[in-house]
Amino acid sequence: MSRYWFLGVNLLVLLLMLVSPWGVPMREFDGSSYMLNPLGAINPAGLKLPPLNLDWLTPAFGLWVLILIVASGALFLPDERNRARVLYILGGVGLALFALEAILFYQAMDAANQAAVAAGARRPPLRRFSLSLGAYVGLFYALGLLLLARLQLAGGRAFLVRYRGLIVPMVALILAIVIGALVVAVLRPGLGLTGGQGVALREFLAAKLDLVTYTYQILFSPVLSLTGIFSSLSFATPLIFAGVAVAFGFKAGLFNIGGPGQITLGAVAAMLVGVYVPGPAWVVLPLAIIATMAGGALWAGIAGWLKARFGANEVINTIMLNYIAASVLLFLIASNTYKFFGRTVTLPFKAPGFEGRSAEIQPGARLPQIIDLLVPGGHFSWALPLAVLAGIGVYVGLRRLELGRRLLGATGAVIVGYLLGALIPGFAVKVSSDLNSILLNGSFLLAVVALLFYNFFLFRTSSGYELRATGLAPKAAEYAGVNLNRKIILAMLISGALAGLVATHYVLGGGVDGTYRLKQSLPTDAGFFGIAIALMGQSTPLGIFLASALFGVLLSGATTLNVQLGISRDLVTVLQALIIMFIAVGGLLPRYFTDPLRAAQIETEDRARQDEGAAKAAKVVGD
Amino acid sequence: MEIAIALFFSTLRQATPLLFTSLGGLFSERSGVVNIGLEGMILFGAAASAIGVQRIEVLTGGAQEWWIPWVGLLLGAAMGGLVGAVHAVASIKYRADQIVSGTAINILALGAPSILLQVLYNNTSTSQEVVNRLPTVFLLGDQLSILVFVAFLLVPLIWWVLFKTPWGLRLRAVGEHPEAAETMGVNVIRMRYIAVILSGVLAGVAGAYLSIGFLNQFVRNMSAGQGFIALAALIFGKWHPLGVLGATLLFGFFQALAIQLQGGEILPSVIIQALPYILTMLVLAGFIGRSRPPAAVGKPYDK
Repeated sequence: MSRYWFLGVNLLVLLLMLVSPWGVPMREFDGSSYMLNPLGAINPAGLKLPPLNLDWLTPAFGLWVLILIVASGALFLPDERNRARVLYILGGVGLALFALEAILFYQAMDAANQAAVAAGARRPPLRRFSLSLGAYVGLFYALGLLLLARLQLAGGRAFLVRYRGLIVPMVALILAIVIGALVVAVLRPGLGLTGGQGVALREFLAAKLDLVTYTYQILFSPVLSLTGIFSSLSFATPLIFAGVAVAFGFKAGLFNIGGPGQITLGAVAAMLVGVYVPGPAWVVLPLAIIATMAGGALWAGIAGWLKARFGANEVINTIMLNYIAASVLLFLIASNTYKFFGRTVTLPFKAPGFEGRSAEIQPGARLPQIIDLLVPGGHFSWALPLAVLAGIGVYVGLRRLELGRRLLGATGAVIVGYLLGALIPGFAVKVSSDLNSILLNGSFLLAVVALLFYNFFLFRTSSGYELRATGLAPKAAEYAGVNLNRKIILAMLISGALAGLVATHYVLGGGVDGTYRLKQSLPTDAGFFGIAIALMGQSTPLGIFLASALFGVLLSGATTLNVQLGISRDLVTVLQALIIMFIAVGGLLPRYFTDPLRAAQIETEDRARQDEGAAKAAKVVGD
Repeated sequence: MEIAIALFFSTLRQATPLLFTSLGGLFSERSGVVNIGLEGMILFGAAASAIGVQRIEVLTGGAQEWWIPWVGLLLGAAMGGLVGAVHAVASIKYRADQIVSGTAINILALGAPSILLQVLYNNTSTSQEVVNRLPTVFLLGDQLSILVFVAFLLVPLIWWVLFKTPWGLRLRAVGEHPEAAETMGVNVIRMRYIAVILSGVLAGVAGAYLSIGFLNQFVRNMSAGQGFIALAALIFGKWHPLGVLGATLLFGFFQALAIQLQGGEILPSVIIQALPYILTMLVLAGFIGRSRPPAAVGKPYDK
């Protein structure tokens, strides 16, 4: 059965290679492009190109066809080890072939550009060139072959099941990307094609595939530049907090869907401290950060208390609290005078002006921008890099030597590293205005600390252990002496505090638009997106960071997408929703990927089969 | 007196989408499936109706025709049903966490319409206005959409279906004790599919009411939490059609009051807007009578 599926996949790969563009040597700003294809170039917009060396394209395609044919046959080999061997080799060859294509393509582009410039062109004629879908398909196919090879060997299925924490989110991501691609392809005309009439089918298909590829290239493009990476991390910061908050709830068996409300209350508390509490920076800033946590904790704590005391469902209550929080924000910030039964009440919070916003946060309570920490006054500072290096170094060192007190030591090393680094003279660096305008601030460092706290508290303290026990098996935990009600309240308090920290980015760090105020238009969607982050990161600290970074990149890329292709940046929102949905249904994978009991069963069965095989082999050798 | 009548009519108008949605939620939750995605289903229904009617108007040249808004209503209902079916497949066939699945639908409803609007109308927040709106009825010098009457007529109908027909008994049994229902020969899976899709259809109708009855276009996030208020009304009304009727009227009254008191001297309208949520929390905690959900709600059914 699965063999015939594989044949179908091969056919699909071949078709994709035949119709899709392999590389795009030239693309205009509006996206219209010149597309290379083994069957001949496709050029709907009629772009003119300088001479290119593209002799390698047809042989490369021929090699891929060969790989496809051999792989199709290989799956019908009788011996599993031979099957695996052939597939491993084919996968390796495929990877090498893709690398070769990439090298040859970019070499050809550079050569053509240099030749044109040497001949007197004012600027390089080829712009926005890149490999495209036809070549990428080969790469993914080769990776797929390697995975398939591993699956042929004994214990292959157990191998997949063991890494289900990685596989389910990856499959969900791939499915979401495919559906997103379909949506884009259906809704927008192909690049370079204006009308729909008189276009050959081949041109039509290629233009659509080019559109889809270019869409995702733009979405992922921030990873290629420092500015893009900074921007992505800035987008990722609120997601990390929100993701940790939701994951913390998950671990305790609670669904904290109240992120938006907790963010709002955190922001209100940050405003109260940041605007109205007098004092030096080293008092007010920590106080303001604690205030965001207190605000979020208070709001989530209400739901926690109601659940512990009255058994009221925390999902409904946190949703209700979201809307109450929205009302609280409006009440405080939209207007300053209210009338209660004829009596006038005056509030001090709204700053004069049309827009509902608070006064500015005092400079002492603002979080510094990361770029100002790294390059204060145009000189590179060693303080932050050295602090991070010292912290990691001491932690790893103490762990190797099994000396204990790792956290204390690492914290000390961070402080010492920071102070020492500040003394080392830096060198002059020029920061581009683009990079300077990115709103990545100290909140990102707090987010990393939140991740470390999450890991430490849940997996290194007895309180965290009890909390996880409460989530996994409440009755067993209670029998073992855990006070369930107290744990529920504690979990909600901490989860809310983590969500409240999002406000450090938006209010104390000026992460919305560079102004340090609480605004009526405070974005709170991060609270919902935290659910996607927690699910995709499988509630592990590293997973949460990676998922946040991924969505940070996509959100950052989406702004460009809107400008260049006129596709709404909400495409990323849709991708997020689809990922949540696909993870919820277990990636449409068989049930043993989502059900731990069935997963364990598969692993045991496969191990037994593996041992049997090994015993047989040993016997053969013995004879 | 005039103010009282205006307030009364305004209450009916505000309560209508809540009532449709809440009755939809009633089916779903009585069958044992939590439907937190009602908010998203309203939005999808609203978008389908407004955009569908606008597209038909382009074809017919913008004339007023009696059938166009009804087709729009059908489109909204069908869209809601389709999204309901997605929730049903996820939570019944794939045993997904029903809250996660519902949340996914809500987030999808924030993003998906914008993409379509950008392509069709070159902006992400509103659709083009339409001329063909659902018909209204004149009453005491004011106009009420015909769907208002439909919504209130649905209440006794649904009460009768749920509590006086064998089908309704089976549905409630499936939500209370699916294993027992199964041994009595009830097809649990099928009952749940029907109930969840039906809840999507009703939420879609609520969306159509918002976009081509109450207004004449789709506006991004136009439901503004009505799906969640409807969910609250469901809890407040103790999962009973008559209770739901009372709860939606009360919540609709708050919304009408908030509009009526805008700029007035009695209470700030933001505080009144928060009242339904506060009341629901109090009910859920048992301060004002206890509200008990169907026993099997939220649990995937394993044969």
